[in-house]
Amino acid sequence: MRDPVPDTVVLSSTAKEEQYVHAVYEKIAEHFSDTRFKAWPVIERYLKELPVGSVGADVGCGNGKYLGLRPDIFLIGTDRSHALVEICGARRLESLVSDALNQPFRSAAFDFAISIAVIHHFSSAARRRQAIEELLRIVKRGGTVLVFVWALEQRGRRRFADDQDVLVPWVVPGSRSGNDSSSSGAQDQVFHRYYHLFREGELSELFCQIGGCSIVEAGYDRDNWYVIARKD
Amino acid sequence: MRLITHNMLKCHVKNCKEPDKQFPLQFKDAKLEQIEAERNNEFLVRMLPRIDWPALLKTTKELGIIIPEKVPANPADDDEFLQALHTAILEMHVKEGSMVCNGCGHEYKITKGIPNMLLAEHEI
Repeated sequence: MRDPVPDTVVLSSTAKEEQYVHAVYEKIAEHFSDTRFKAWPVIERYLKELPVGSVGADVGCGNGKYLGLRPDIFLIGTDRSHALVEICGARRLESLVSDALNQPFRSAAFDFAISIAVIHHFSSAARRRQAIEELLRIVKRGGTVLVFVWALEQRGRRRFADDQDVLVPWVVPGSRSGNDSSSSGAQDQVFHRYYHLFREGELSELFCQIGGCSIVEAGYDRDNWYVIARKD
Repeated sequence: MRLITHNMLKCHVKNCKEPDKQFPLQFKDAKLEQIEAERNNEFLVRMLPRIDWPALLKTTKELGIIIPEKVPANPADDDEFLQALHTAILEMHVKEGSMVCNGCGHEYKITKGIPNMLLAEHEI
């Protein structure tokens, strides 16, 4: 097991995210997708409680594991990674490539929006705030937004020290990545992803700073802090 | 990409000269494919308020898809309307082509049914 390391990379926010988030997901997309198939209970419950005919966006949809959960709602997936969106497309799930900071949707277009394990990849407080502002912008008044982000205080298989900004290794096992013709291809490949680990209350605080919304539910689940907020 | 998705999309280039024309995006060289899908009347009726009808009408006319000019008073009782709506927004897929902003001319490409809505750094 390789440990996370403190983020000491000196780069602009955009350059850091390009190198330690976007480029990594392009490379690990297939392996990442193979490990992402089970719906998390809070998210499943949230989606199952939506009225028939709800229209929403899954911002940072990854391999689209939530897009087909309910055939009687319409959920559009977006992701910054072409490789992940192509996986969604191959599964006939509605998805497009876009940036969570500048969403290509009209304001108040949706009944709801979700963003699961995405906003922790933005490397400044201003950018994390902007991502949430965008989620609130695209939902109608009375609509809800569900956000999950990694917790600093994880009690599961990953343990973190007090550094909130870290590089977390993703290991693609060598036996599966054997497209290297020069050798046996048995070596593991390690990629580091940038994360901002949220402290308890930090995510709720961001919603409160932005305003124009009320927190319906907040909690901890599966190594993440989450918030469900309603747009006022 | 289905037309229900297109109905939500808007050009998001910063400092667009004519922000009123950022929606709807205009299709260019669109290649359509119809893929049959199961019709769910309750879904259609309940999602209707999310659709911008004038935008959908303009887009379907450009693509040669026929839908009624207006939403009927009781859509739930209008089988013909529901079928036209279902076909237009859920069965028609744009596989290739692009979407152009009528305000600033920005072009968003669609490849293998997937729109690329990313902007360059200077456009954000």
